[in-house]
Amino acid sequence: MSDKDHSARRRALGRRFSAAGIAAAAGLLALAPAVHAEENAAGSVEANDPLEGFNRGAFKLGMGLDKVLLAPIAHGYMAVTPKPVRNRVSSAVYNLGEPNTVINQVLQGKPKRAMRATTRFVVNSTVGVLGLFDVAAKMNLPRRDSDFGQTFGYYGAGPGAYIYVPLMGPLNVRDGIGRALDMATDPVGAVAGGIGTDFGKARLGVTIVDVRASADPAFHALKDSSDPYVTTRSAYGQYREAFIRQATGQAEDLPDFDAPPPDASAPAATSTP
Amino acid sequence: MMNTSPTRRGANAALLAFLGAAAIGAPAMAQQARDPNAEAFVQTKAQRVISVLANKGMSEAQKKQVFHQAIDELADVPRVTNFVLGKYARTITPDQRARFAPAFRTYAENVYQDRIDDYKGEVLKVTGSTVRKPGDVIVNTTISGGQISQPLPVSWRVLGGGQTWKVVDVQFKGVWLAITQQQDFVSTIDNAGGNIDVLINQLQKGQGAKGR
Repeated sequence: MSDKDHSARRRALGRRFSAAGIAAAAGLLALAPAVHAEENAAGSVEANDPLEGFNRGAFKLGMGLDKVLLAPIAHGYMAVTPKPVRNRVSSAVYNLGEPNTVINQVLQGKPKRAMRATTRFVVNSTVGVLGLFDVAAKMNLPRRDSDFGQTFGYYGAGPGAYIYVPLMGPLNVRDGIGRALDMATDPVGAVAGGIGTDFGKARLGVTIVDVRASADPAFHALKDSSDPYVTTRSAYGQYREAFIRQATGQAEDLPDFDAPPPDASAPAATSTP
Repeated sequence: MMNTSPTRRGANAALLAFLGAAAIGAPAMAQQARDPNAEAFVQTKAQRVISVLANKGMSEAQKKQVFHQAIDELADVPRVTNFVLGKYARTITPDQRARFAPAFRTYAENVYQDRIDDYKGEVLKVTGSTVRKPGDVIVNTTISGGQISQPLPVSWRVLGGGQTWKVVDVQFKGVWLAITQQQDFVSTIDNAGGNIDVLINQLQKGQGAKGR
């Protein structure tokens, strides 16, 4: 009896949790039109970065911490493991994110994609040995990632202000809220154990090392740029918008190649004689 | 997940309806026209560049040399040079342009070679194209083989017509190289109070220091 009560209470609690998520989503969507209005005609090119001064400081700190903390770990990992092994680890990390992908494809009203992702998770977790091998991809079920940030974007939410969080990297308001929801509603965390458990800690550790190692070419590319802060901001914004277009199927809105953008900002007034 | 209660289903339907209404505002646009000539151009020329970079029998110096020549067949360098300056393309002096163009060219060769080289792919396959407007086409490809575990999507923006095409931008993982460079460069000049020489010096210095 009391057991039944308990489970009913838990279900109610779960429902309240998801209601909170929906409320947050609705709140974000209410902001969407305003955010959209800030975008310019050329699409993803204009930066929305009201906190630039603060963000530049956070970026500097983040890159410094990366240099002494994450980069040595990632480079050590890359030195002792060959690429095929790292690919297996990436597959396993990706596989644990698959249930979250299913949730978001359902929220986006894409039942076929959700079924495919579910099948991928079942096949790869079993035949693929806990996700180490992407067997499903060979069965014509390729990866198709999704997250809450994409779902918000799918329903029209713009990115909002850019934020740089040291050790977490670039984010914006939409994808930051999305990231928090990804973590709060993650089915694997709920079933196998969250950050309080050994599994959760191990998973987080492996994920961080894997993500940092996979991002190494991007860090390498940053060395070529003359303003790494702006390059990171631009690349992240384009990457996320492309990810959302995978869900919406919209064509990309690119600037005309031969027409220089109009002088929107003041510095153009300082034209050289 | 299968035993959804009716109230839950009702709530989900309401949520979807609400979200759906929000989505209607989004313009649906999908140009599906393809351009076989632009596709053939990318298939031939881009594959050639990738084959050179994947060639294990060639020294780094040889690769650089071949890449230096192949880039003119593949890319419209003067157009890209103008594009990456953004709004400063209108205010740059002829003298500055004469110094910027070669500095950017060396810089771009290094960057493009590094980016293509990062992935160590071997085989390029055209998967389709989208005509943005006549003469402005996005050619979609995947690069695979080598050390790539999942086929890597790479898009090429080509301008031209008939049999004559040139690449002006390349997109990896959703990120366009020339668009990103434009923001990088314009920001650098903005932060130098509009002084384009600061960027030119930086490009020239970077090349000296790098030496990879």
